[in-house]
Amino acid sequence: MSTSKNNTSKQLLWVGMAGISMFFAGLTSAVIVRSAEHGWNSIDMPIWFWYSTFAIVASSILLIIAQYQVKRGNSPTIYVVGALALGLFFAYCQLMGWDQLTAMGMYFIGEGSNPASSFLYVITFAHLMHVIGGLIALLVTTIKAVQSKYTKENYLGIELTSIYWHYLDLLWVYLFVFLLYSVK
Amino acid sequence: MTNILIALVLILLVATLVQVLRVSELLSELKKQDVNEVTDKDNAIQGKILLIVGTLFLGSVVWQFVNWIPLMLPPASSAHGAVIDSLMQFTMLLIIFVFFITQPILFWYGYKYNKNKKNPVAFFFPHNNKLEVIWTVVPTIVLTAVILYGLSAWDQITNADTSESQVIELYAKQFDWTARYAGEDNTLGYSNYKLVKGPNQLGVDLTDEFAQDDVVIKEVHLAVNKPVLLKMRSRDVIHSAFLPHFRVQMNCVPGMITQFAFTPTQTTAEMKIQEGEDFEFVLLCNKICGSAHYNMQMKFVVETEEEYAAWMASQKTVNNTLTKKQ
Amino acid sequence: MSDHHKETFISKYVFSLDHKMIAKQFLITGMLMGIIGMLMSIMFRLQLSNPGESFAVLEWFLGSKWAPGGILDPNMYLSLVTMHGTILVFWVLTAGLTGTFANFLIPLQIGARDMASGFMNMLSYWFFFVATIILLCSLFVETGPASAGWTIYPPLSALPQAIPGSGLGQDLWLVSIALFIVSSLLGGLNYIVTILNLRTKGMSMSRLPLTMWAILITAILGVLSFPVLLSAALLLIMDRSFGTSFYLSDIIIGGETLHNTGGSPVLFEHLFWFLGHPEVYIILLPSLGIVSEVMSINTRKPIFGYKAMVGAMLAIAFLSFIVWGHHMFITGMDPFLGSVFTFTTLLIAIPSAVKVFNYLATLWKGSIRFTPAMLFTIGFVSTFITGGLTGLILGDSALDINVHDTYFVVGHFHIVMGLSAIYGMFSGVYHWFPKMYGRMMNKQLGYLHFWVTFIAAYGVFFPMHFLGLAGLPRRYYTNSAFPMFDNLTDINTIITFFAIIGGLVQLVFVFNFFYSIFKGTKASTNPWEANTLEWTTPIERIHGNWPGEIPSVHRWPYDYSKPGADEDFIMQTEPLKEGETEH
Repeated sequence: MSTSKNNTSKQLLWVGMAGISMFFAGLTSAVIVRSAEHGWNSIDMPIWFWYSTFAIVASSILLIIAQYQVKRGNSPTIYVVGALALGLFFAYCQLMGWDQLTAMGMYFIGEGSNPASSFLYVITFAHLMHVIGGLIALLVTTIKAVQSKYTKENYLGIELTSIYWHYLDLLWVYLFVFLLYSVK
Repeated sequence: MTNILIALVLILLVATLVQVLRVSELLSELKKQDVNEVTDKDNAIQGKILLIVGTLFLGSVVWQFVNWIPLMLPPASSAHGAVIDSLMQFTMLLIIFVFFITQPILFWYGYKYNKNKKNPVAFFFPHNNKLEVIWTVVPTIVLTAVILYGLSAWDQITNADTSESQVIELYAKQFDWTARYAGEDNTLGYSNYKLVKGPNQLGVDLTDEFAQDDVVIKEVHLAVNKPVLLKMRSRDVIHSAFLPHFRVQMNCVPGMITQFAFTPTQTTAEMKIQEGEDFEFVLLCNKICGSAHYNMQMKFVVETEEEYAAWMASQKTVNNTLTKKQ
Repeated sequence: MSDHHKETFISKYVFSLDHKMIAKQFLITGMLMGIIGMLMSIMFRLQLSNPGESFAVLEWFLGSKWAPGGILDPNMYLSLVTMHGTILVFWVLTAGLTGTFANFLIPLQIGARDMASGFMNMLSYWFFFVATIILLCSLFVETGPASAGWTIYPPLSALPQAIPGSGLGQDLWLVSIALFIVSSLLGGLNYIVTILNLRTKGMSMSRLPLTMWAILITAILGVLSFPVLLSAALLLIMDRSFGTSFYLSDIIIGGETLHNTGGSPVLFEHLFWFLGHPEVYIILLPSLGIVSEVMSINTRKPIFGYKAMVGAMLAIAFLSFIVWGHHMFITGMDPFLGSVFTFTTLLIAIPSAVKVFNYLATLWKGSIRFTPAMLFTIGFVSTFITGGLTGLILGDSALDINVHDTYFVVGHFHIVMGLSAIYGMFSGVYHWFPKMYGRMMNKQLGYLHFWVTFIAAYGVFFPMHFLGLAGLPRRYYTNSAFPMFDNLTDINTIITFFAIIGGLVQLVFVFNFFYSIFKGTKASTNPWEANTLEWTTPIERIHGNWPGEIPSVHRWPYDYSKPGADEDFIMQTEPLKEGETEH
């Protein structure tokens, strides 16, 4: 259903995501330039980052199902809650991933850091910051779903959260693959 | 005390301005006119002022060229510099030509078409594809010529044959320059910032065989017509080696070695005859680098081959200069 | 829709959601910052033309630490130059220009009640406000404000040991810029979405006023380029405060060997200029749009070649993303890249030339009404020609070798930004003042402001080209350290002379602006007899802009002196007459 407000909210989101993409384009360009120079280490990608990839992809799938359900007039709540849980698990995996990096002796700064590890931390950190925004949106959506505020006619909140969340998912997949390739 | 007076003067000025405005408004009210309405008379006057100021402006541009061209840098003292100077002349003539056509048109149209009894109605002319094509195609052709000329010059300059060039390192730091000649083997000795210690301010690896004949010096001498390859390093921040008389400029970046190749074509002695006894070739820093950025200089001297050889013979190699206190 | 909520002072003037109020907030903040930035330039001009001479006013403003005995300290000189650039490029010409006119005009010209998100819009201003406060605070820190140039290249901007301003002053600068970028992005999002979605009935894209096209394109440029500056700044903050080596390598400073290896200052330059170049078009495009509007209205003719004008702006915007390397010809980057950037840079001259010729064709056989806004529009065209032409020299890599970072560049960018873009801004203020405040600005003061500014500004910046061709570098505290520049002192004196006059006359504008808000003669609904929708709203500003229905649009905005019409203008809301074809 596209009322003018629906359209504008979605468009605001799309344009905002274009801006966020450029921010990460800047960071990934920096990686490309730097990795071509000497002193670029290879890093074994911590397994926790693999787990977080599965987590975020799975949570996106749950949101897709949630939207599908609400369009048919069913309750999306269980799926939204599932997506939120997986989203929180994603954040947990990121923290564990950093833990694993430090255990490998790869630090962000100081002794034991190198350009590759610094970039790895900065980029995953920047992504996580944007995910926190997504988690807040997911939380609001969950609360409203629990309160049965979404109907077949009006589920704009789920749509917007989904769009942003799918974006964060795709962004993560891009960044993850990119970093995998860059630090191998 | 002066501050108070200045403040008073300013306040009075503002107050005067306010009163003047109030008076003009009251007068217009009396005359039943809108003080801010732009009348035909205004248009005529402004149109005339536009023409006069426009003409004066163009005249002042001519005046500036005539008076200040003698202050410009003398013709280039390097081989590639002559290429740059030709390209500059060509481009300057082009833009001066366009400037002296478009600006007069602008001022003239402003004057001629101002709204008055002679010119009450405008001509409804929303577009004309033919004109658009003309003034897209013509600039494209002209710019293609400029691009081709420019790229050919750039290629000449950056792809110069450096197989015969004398290698000289320029080491930049806050706030001075040091030069290091590569010596007989024309290869600079290995250097690393971690080796900077005591008298070895350039971090040269004194055990490296290529470093043995390097000469470290605070004034650069060059043999005329002999190609030179400058290699730039920096100790701390970005500097830029700018040799305006040779048309040479290249940033000196910490962590990188940059380079620029050129061949000097005039001796300092020749330049002194041309430009005056006080003339010297000079190296300036041209990238903001700190408080004394404005005074980071080194003298360059271009001389005949014999003079150069004599000078070189009297210089000490690094084992002397970088190991003892100077 | 009229608002029934009770308006407090706070909700009306401070935390307003109304686009018109937010626009004025941007304008006034921009003007005040402009005065500060201009004052700074007078201070360093005094130093440049009279090195070693004592000026009591310098000590009065800067204190005895930064101007002991009335002589400017070299570090403070570099701080002034840095802050002047920062304030004028970002605060005045980006936020002050786009923030004002995009916010004010978009809903009015497309026929909408307000922006897509009034809340986001308000946030945009308040982020800007906080950024401003932080920047102003940086002026008072003990080690001085940021001083590595507005381009803040590391390592100079990363190391407090390299220059005092790179201490706390630079930290505050970076935080301020990060907030500024957020503000710009929030604004840009609104501008794009509002223009694309909230146009009134009949307002197709091809009936949009050129100002709207310009602002739309500007906003897209901003959304795509400002985040890259944010990423560059983030990595710089990391290098400064966390010891990373994104930009730093092989450095010995202040006697200390730093641990950083593997970083590249050139990386910063690439990231910075990836924004930096589109930024100058973000500055220029709104002025191009404003000037198109003002010129058409005051020549009583359609702007010549509407489609070509839109196409040219799109071409300029697209090309602006692939020319950034022309700021870096002599950084030591691969010469092949240099060739590529020369090619793309000189290409940008083509759409720019098309626009200039279209402006001249608009003036031809017009019936020109010389309002102060129109005078500034003509000033815009003159300075755009001058500045654009010198760009041909700078864009050519071989020629750039000897003029890079000299006064030739300073002359060029001031003429295109400090003259052209600002003239567009002045033009817009004089032109839309009646809509903003319901009163007219004083005409005679406007004329005085224009003529003195036009003459003085050319007097300041045209001679700079000669200084550059004489080899004089920029950002030099004094020119007296090199005998080769001794013969340039006269030119410097002339420049400072005109700078002071030009600076002072801006106070006439400021006075006129504020006086007219309260005491200006009352304006009519459509004092310029213009076609666009903003002139159909009543003088009293109301939320929602139109008291009743939003009018629909039946034609493009440039039906001036159309043959067969009763008047020399036909508003966009007028339906087509029988037998009349739309342009």
